[in-house]
Amino acid sequence: MNFNPLPYPIGQAVIFWLILFGSVTGIVLAIALFTSLVARGLKGPAAVLGQVRDFAVDMIRLSPRRVFALSSLTFKEAIRRKALLIFVVFALLFMFGGWFLSGTGERPDEQARVYISFVLRVIGWLTLPVVLLLSCWGIPEDIRARSLHTVVTKPARRNEIFLGRFLGFSAVGSIIVVIMGVVGYFWIVRQTPSDLVARVPRYGDLAFLDREGNPGRGVNVGDMWEFRSYVEGATRARGLWRFKDVYPGDNPDEGLVLESRFEAFRTHKGDMERGLLCELSFFNPETELRVRHRPFQVKEFSQNEIKIDRKLSMYDEETNTTKEVDLFDDLITDGTLYVEARAIDPGQYLGMARPDLFIRMANRPFYVGYAKAVFGIWMMAILVVALGVTASCFVKGPVATLLTLTFLIIGQGFREFMDRMVFQNLNNVLAGGGPVESWIRLIRHMNPQVPMEPGVSTSIIQFVDARMFDLLWIVQHIVPDFRHFRMAPYIANGFDVNFESAIVPGLAVMFGYLLPCLLLGYFSLKLRELEAK
Amino acid sequence: MNRLSSRNRKVVYLVGMIVLLVPIIVLGMPAASGEGSGGYLARLRQEHDLGETSLGEVDPSSATMNLVLLGLRGVATNILWMQLQEQKETKQWFQMKATTDSITQLQPHFLKVWQYHGWNLAFNVSAEWDQVEDRYYWVKEGTKFTMQGSRRNERFPELYWDVGNMLGKKIGRSDEWQFFRRFYKSDPNTKLFEGGPDPEISRFGASEFEDNYLASKYWFHVANDKEESQAQHIMMRMVFRQYPARAQMDYADALQREGLFGERTGQAWAEAYRDWTEQYRTGDPGFGQEIFYTPAGGVRLEASEADMRELAKKDSVSLRDKRTWTSRYQDIVSYRYWRTRSDAESRGKTEAAHREIFEGQKLFREGRLLESKEMLEAGMEKFASLLEDYPSLTSDDGFIEEGLMAVLYWRHIHTLLEIPFPENFALRKLWEKEAARIPSLEIDFRRDNGIG
Repeated sequence: MNFNPLPYPIGQAVIFWLILFGSVTGIVLAIALFTSLVARGLKGPAAVLGQVRDFAVDMIRLSPRRVFALSSLTFKEAIRRKALLIFVVFALLFMFGGWFLSGTGERPDEQARVYISFVLRVIGWLTLPVVLLLSCWGIPEDIRARSLHTVVTKPARRNEIFLGRFLGFSAVGSIIVVIMGVVGYFWIVRQTPSDLVARVPRYGDLAFLDREGNPGRGVNVGDMWEFRSYVEGATRARGLWRFKDVYPGDNPDEGLVLESRFEAFRTHKGDMERGLLCELSFFNPETELRVRHRPFQVKEFSQNEIKIDRKLSMYDEETNTTKEVDLFDDLITDGTLYVEARAIDPGQYLGMARPDLFIRMANRPFYVGYAKAVFGIWMMAILVVALGVTASCFVKGPVATLLTLTFLIIGQGFREFMDRMVFQNLNNVLAGGGPVESWIRLIRHMNPQVPMEPGVSTSIIQFVDARMFDLLWIVQHIVPDFRHFRMAPYIANGFDVNFESAIVPGLAVMFGYLLPCLLLGYFSLKLRELEAK
Repeated sequence: MNRLSSRNRKVVYLVGMIVLLVPIIVLGMPAASGEGSGGYLARLRQEHDLGETSLGEVDPSSATMNLVLLGLRGVATNILWMQLQEQKETKQWFQMKATTDSITQLQPHFLKVWQYHGWNLAFNVSAEWDQVEDRYYWVKEGTKFTMQGSRRNERFPELYWDVGNMLGKKIGRSDEWQFFRRFYKSDPNTKLFEGGPDPEISRFGASEFEDNYLASKYWFHVANDKEESQAQHIMMRMVFRQYPARAQMDYADALQREGLFGERTGQAWAEAYRDWTEQYRTGDPGFGQEIFYTPAGGVRLEASEADMRELAKKDSVSLRDKRTWTSRYQDIVSYRYWRTRSDAESRGKTEAAHREIFEGQKLFREGRLLESKEMLEAGMEKFASLLEDYPSLTSDDGFIEEGLMAVLYWRHIHTLLEIPFPENFALRKLWEKEAARIPSLEIDFRRDNGIG
């Protein structure tokens, strides 16, 4: 996994959402108007527009009191259906969880990582099935038992029914998540021997200089994982970081704390008694002032803390004297700090990625980061409820369950694969073609590099594949990206959950789906024959 | 159309259940304490030693996990393997270790799984880390993991052999062997082990665990004991059986490599000779005394002409066949070479030759050239005499390189002292015979001593 938190472009995301939502709504409306025109003449479009007007009116006249009453009813029903029995499973898992978790005895930090991942995974795995089943079976069960008839004959609007159900199930999900979160917190704290904190990193941008000192890329030393690029020791190759908004803290005498997580790669044994050496330099491109910091040994896969004093001494080669430099006054201009990292040992390499060097801000308590990670699970549960309630408005319980589960599985487990396929197809770098072509290649034992024979059959295959990829593109844009709710890697790696990189995308995805779900649920309930079983 | 009443149907169901219960009891009744008790499946399990308890230690968490998963164990295992592969590619080593443990919880009696993961941790993961202390940590993790596997599958010799191999080869022979052997006795995690060894792998206090090779010998011994009742599937049986004795030789050799000469090293070689040819200290017959079966009947590697004749008579085969197969088997494990080597090394003259060459090289590095020259000359004399006494050692790479390296040091001292290099010297015969090796050894010599 690439743990590389990037700021979420919320502005772009909102614009994209507006375009997508507007386009889909427009297309659906146009199709509805056209088909109604064909079917019923001019009365048809008027009826369609009447439905749209009804929706607007229903939304304006929405009664919070009725929504609250419906959600209270939903909540009580869920409790009556023994939804909270899930706590028994939860208790069992926590009682015996320690049996199944490996002890990393000598590395307490790693032990904490295992426990935190376990707790957050358990909360997610137990909450999601419960809210999924509750939300998918609620309305179909009401229709089956005809209890919905008593509701719809009352002055309750369809959007109120939808919202009542949604909020009721969300309340159940929230209670489950909160209780499990609190119990999980105490379990982690009790199990973990080391003090837990949530480190707060400030990341910069990374660029590379090649061995001649020209802007370029680092070297791949043969890793399949291309997360890190490597710089060669004793050459001009560098990793070049730019940090923004770096200002003195509350204590003006204090400098900065940097943390690195570089990887070492040796092309020869070298000095085995010590780790490879890395040197950081700070420089100001405006004044061309450069200060080299004392080299440190790289300790892999661990936290290398480097304290940078505010007053740094440097050797001035022009005057052959040592002079003192102020980190904030002389090296940082407009809050921008440039840091270069280089490997010192000849023939040895240091691997670097953007999050491998960052400025450490003041730590936050562990519970802050943990609470945010639990909040991520909560957002996911809410989205599942929204999808489940929506699906249950137009299909029966089992189908709604399957549909929501499919969304969940594709959006979480296959999202990366799907994104990769679509990206490769759009950029014409997909090896082996689409599904039909791949199938034919498999049967004929053709490797992906061998071109298909030109001809009619190949054209047909490629046409069918292209349409399948169009379908995949649509699915990619419809199915929510559940990965945005995964905040466990932050807290398991000992970091606070970043608001811009993690919370904002989670909120964006959750809210982005609520309005379309409400629309779809409303019209489905409105147009559906509630007598049907 | 069902004409039976509700009551009648219930009676039919009850009778059906009772009828079905009979084969279930016959097949699946659990075994009581006595042998041969229980249902058919329980008896089969006893007969073929396939019960959970007879395979090794029972881990309640593993049993629970398998029970909870019902029939989905295979699916869960596959998912975990895929996860493991991804964690390995993205270098999430600790998560990978946790996944590894989960896999073995699901497949506790699949030996290959233990072997694969043990090797992966001790050899592959350790090599991914830069600091030698970290590498040692992963070697230990791999070894402990394999030890755990051997406890879970205590009837099978393979995992015991793997533990011996890791303790011996990985700690004693890898590039970092000097560090690893030191860490074995004094773990780098001083906070946890307070300068002592990690008791989980070295069980310090017991003499057979004071050195990694001795610990390795112990595990090979256990593997041999297990092998007597359960065949191993790693290698030819005879090759497998030699390892306790070979570990003893490696131990003695390591002492020499570390510059430890004297009584202790001599005794170590003497014990290696006994293990190889006569008898282990445990009372078991030494490797050379064991009988191995060949197309020409049983052969013993430590066999005189009379022994072979007797064996040939017993197996009703010709003496020639017996001799051929004995020799062939001896060649497979270089029996004669190791016999000669351990015999030669246990003698004082050999020990003195090694020590003087080692000391001479050390003096050279300290810049005491004249003393070094004298020491090397004395060592080379003894070395030449040793090669005359044991000509088979002239084909041993280790001996050849040691002799040539001694000459290289000695020659370089002449250059530095600006005195002519004598035409005749003790190891001249070896120097001329192995002239092809000199250029590469010279590179090593220059690199080791920082000579440009």
